[in-house]
Amino acid sequence: MSRYLLLFLLALLLSTRVAAQGGQPAVLRVLVPTDAAPMAYHDETGRLTGFSVEVVRALCAEIRATCQFDVTNQDEFLDRLQQGRADLAASGVFEMPELRGKLPQANPYYRSLSLWLAGQDVPPGRAGLRVAVVQGSIQEDYARRQGWEPRPVRNSRELKRVLLGGEAQAALVPMIVALHMQKSEAFRRLGLLPTVLRAPELGGDVSFSISPRRPELRQEINMALDRIKRNGAYDRINSRFLPFRVS
Amino acid sequence: MSGVQPRPRGVHADQAFGLLAGVFVLAFSVAVLLLADDQQRVIDTNSRLQERTVPEIIRYQRLARNLEQLRQEGERIFAVSSPAARQQSMFVVTLIASHPSVLEHPGAAAMARETEYFLGQVVRQWADGRPRSAAQYEQWQRLSGRLGLQIDDVSVEGVDLASGELNQALAAMKLARYKLLIVLVLVGFFLLAFIVLVRRHLIHPLQRIDQALSNLSAEQPEPTFNTSRMLEIQAVEEGIREHHALLIQNEEIRRGLEALANKDGLTGLMNRRYFLQAAEMEQQRAQRYRRPVTVAMADLDSFKKLNDTYGHAAGDAVLRAFAEQVRETLRQSDLVCRYGGEEFAFLFPEIGPAETARLAERLRLACAGHDVPLADGRRVRATVSIGLADASECPIESALRQADEALYEAKRQGRNRVVISPPPVTNSPQENP
Repeated sequence: MSRYLLLFLLALLLSTRVAAQGGQPAVLRVLVPTDAAPMAYHDETGRLTGFSVEVVRALCAEIRATCQFDVTNQDEFLDRLQQGRADLAASGVFEMPELRGKLPQANPYYRSLSLWLAGQDVPPGRAGLRVAVVQGSIQEDYARRQGWEPRPVRNSRELKRVLLGGEAQAALVPMIVALHMQKSEAFRRLGLLPTVLRAPELGGDVSFSISPRRPELRQEINMALDRIKRNGAYDRINSRFLPFRVS
Repeated sequence: MSGVQPRPRGVHADQAFGLLAGVFVLAFSVAVLLLADDQQRVIDTNSRLQERTVPEIIRYQRLARNLEQLRQEGERIFAVSSPAARQQSMFVVTLIASHPSVLEHPGAAAMARETEYFLGQVVRQWADGRPRSAAQYEQWQRLSGRLGLQIDDVSVEGVDLASGELNQALAAMKLARYKLLIVLVLVGFFLLAFIVLVRRHLIHPLQRIDQALSNLSAEQPEPTFNTSRMLEIQAVEEGIREHHALLIQNEEIRRGLEALANKDGLTGLMNRRYFLQAAEMEQQRAQRYRRPVTVAMADLDSFKKLNDTYGHAAGDAVLRAFAEQVRETLRQSDLVCRYGGEEFAFLFPEIGPAETARLAERLRLACAGHDVPLADGRRVRATVSIGLADASECPIESALRQADEALYEAKRQGRNRVVISPPPVTNSPQENP
């Protein structure tokens, strides 16, 4: 009798140890672009934050994973995700068409539109215009198709420099970038007027890209995203970084 | 004549109740499936509520929040004096008015466009250096009021989505409740029917069988049953009837055997063993009630000589003839047996020796005057000697012994006579000093 009791206790102990090992949080390696305020940036204390970053943190909390952020240039996203050196890319701030077709996408976490920022005398549509766009973005694609002369930039800082320096007559950027630029006094002094371009490919849903080596993440991320949209975590993050609801 | 038994009409209980149970299970299963269908509808509605409606409600809430933000930015445009701040607010207004979340709702989109257009005009006029006017602000107030109403409408639309789903779930639950009631009624009905049928076709027949078995005896008439529809019950009832017939048959056999055991085979009178039992009981009864009772012993005179002369067959004929005389002469209540050979014993209840002597004399005379015909045509006549004794106050064996002594006296006195045993001599105090 005591032997059976001993075996039972041993089995219980083993199962508890296995459960404890299984309960260790997984690590989620997340790529975020450099200098992409308000979606991903370092605040005054040096802490990485931003709308995308905080949404990812909330997702990690939901799926009980530890987020390991890797701030890097967007042009490295595709390779690193495909090679399995990262699990997730919070690249939504600059939507990259090459990521859309080649990588699994989670459900949208916000909806965007594109703005034409230019003086009153530079309406969109004229061929040959020098237009500042984010490198590799859908806006760059669109600008090329329209016959404009794209001036690709890698981040907001470069964008500001190109516009202030007169290298570009206009900018075609996602609304989030425009919002951030609008906070700059120097930018406002340019007096650029925003015009929303209604072309379907310039707006719509923005999603996280997932490594093809972690296909199971997609459902997990989608479910977690659904939960944070319901429990209010998403809206609190939205209010912290953006002036209106972007979902 | 056909050997084929008529096929019993009826049904097997297991088949009948199995059929009833099968119908019940079928009906109950259908009802449960219907209930499960309603339950699934509730689950589906709840899932739809969770997966589709709740996100939709949240989407409406966010739209309302954006419209509210639009109103706040408009207020800010009128409130601030800094062109940069106005420009920033106007920028946000443009974004909100063009955001897909607003554009996908026609009412909100129209309202947002109108707001953007109005605020854009105001901002441009002020940028051109035109002065602010009270009319502009009043116009904005009206627009802001309409924007507020639109916010309310959007909020209510979101809540209405949930109301519709909840009403569907409620309707499904109500339907499920009615079905559950129907199922309960159905179960109750089947249980009632089951109980009624079991009582009618099993319990009541079994009770009747139990009663019939309790009263079953050869003396009682054959039990009657209301013919049951259950073949098993019919078989038991038929078995009981057969058993009753067997009991009667056994009783008749028993009575025959008892008669054979208690009677003398030749004369048909009681045999000695049965006579002694019956005589003792009768004597005890007489002594208990202090009633007179007399015993007698009789012996056919010269019977050995008759046997030697005419043969044993003649002897037997004489014995049978004497028994017949006894039956004709004595009362029905008198007991008589063939005591052995040509010797007979008697018990006469309710009469003393004197009256018994008259009865015995009549028997003696009847014998003496009766010729017994033999098989060969000859006739013989036999006489009888009888000894009597009072059995009122002594044991039966003692009384028979006294009667036997009286018989011996009758023989000694010349046979063919009746002699009463003298009462036992009691010593008086004078004779036994």
